Amino acid sequence: MAGTDIVNGAAGLSPLSPVVALRGQRAAFVRHTQGSYDALIIPADPAGVSLIERAAVALRVASIERDVALLAHYRARLAALGADRAMVSAAEGEGGATDVPPRLVAILDHVAVVTTAPGSASQARLDALRDAGLAPRDIVTIAQVVAFVSYQVRVVAGLRALAQETHA
Amino acid sequence: MSNPRFTLDAVEWAAWIPTVEAATATPRQLAALEASPQRDSPYFLTLAHDVDSLEQRSPLFHAVMYAPRGLPRADRELATVVVSIINGCVYCSSVHARRFSELTKRPEIIQRLYDEGLDTKLEPRHRAIVDFAAKLTRTPQAVTPTDLKPLRAVGMDDLQIHDLIHAVAMFANANRLMQTLGEPIAPG
Repeated sequence: MAGTDIVNGAAGLSPLSPVVALRGQRAAFVRHTQGSYDALIIPADPAGVSLIERAAVALRVASIERDVALLAHYRARLAALGADRAMVSAAEGEGGATDVPPRLVAILDHVAVVTTAPGSASQARLDALRDAGLAPRDIVTIAQVVAFVSYQVRVVAGLRALAQETHA
Repeated sequence: MSNPRFTLDAVEWAAWIPTVEAATATPRQLAALEASPQRDSPYFLTLAHDVDSLEQRSPLFHAVMYAPRGLPRADRELATVVVSIINGCVYCSSVHARRFSELTKRPEIIQRLYDEGLDTKLEPRHRAIVDFAAKLTRTPQAVTPTDLKPLRAVGMDDLQIHDLIHAVAMFANANRLMQTLGEPIAPG
């Protein structure tokens, strides 16, 4: 499961970047940031939320946050899992995707709301997800993916600025 | 942007979905709960539904908030309160406002942020932290090296800025979990 560090890649950091060395001083941050990605995006056992659904949720968040690198990453991930054009469009928030499973539509609607305005979540929204067939565990998984990509976007944006400053 | 809901008093939290029951939790769930800040809280008993992610998130959260050296703990707490105010997370802001106050003995700084908003008059270091935390929270794509200049001006080195970035990002995470899986309630 070990592979490329997603944050380094998205922030455009070469292995020799001083910011990569800086991250090396905080090994637990690096390990558990990548570990969270592995657990949420590429788990060996995805249980009740499929790999496609996880990638679609991540793409929805990256798209709303407008992080070009992470958007490209999750779009490629979703496509590699065999998602069709309608599904990728839905995950990027483009309307008119009629061929997307209703369960994924319900998930993506929820994700868009809580990414844009986390305070507008409600019990009724979670009840709607349960009506769409999601178990409590699935709801937690989706919340974790949203929360993780929201974190990842800001780590990448901050480190990118730091790297640009270092090279200025 | 004054908001009377934000408080320095303790707040509790209730889940909108059934939580894991300690009596029926798996050994992995119990171990992940043990590694979390409050293993008996409904919040962590909710997150324990997905033990794979909790096993990573708890040590990440702990490292970001408590790793030695680097950004002083009070500065990390201040940043997380700012993020929580922007996102409207009453529970998170209460917890970390109190941590900041315990560390600094200066609860009045938080009270001013609550009462007067993020533009309230602050000493230069706090001003720099508040402004950076607000920008990285609201418009991460607009953050550039120019936004680091005020942090450099108050003496922050690379590691301190690295830690600040992660504290802000961690609360983009924490607020979304807290605010989308349940709600704050008055202590009962």
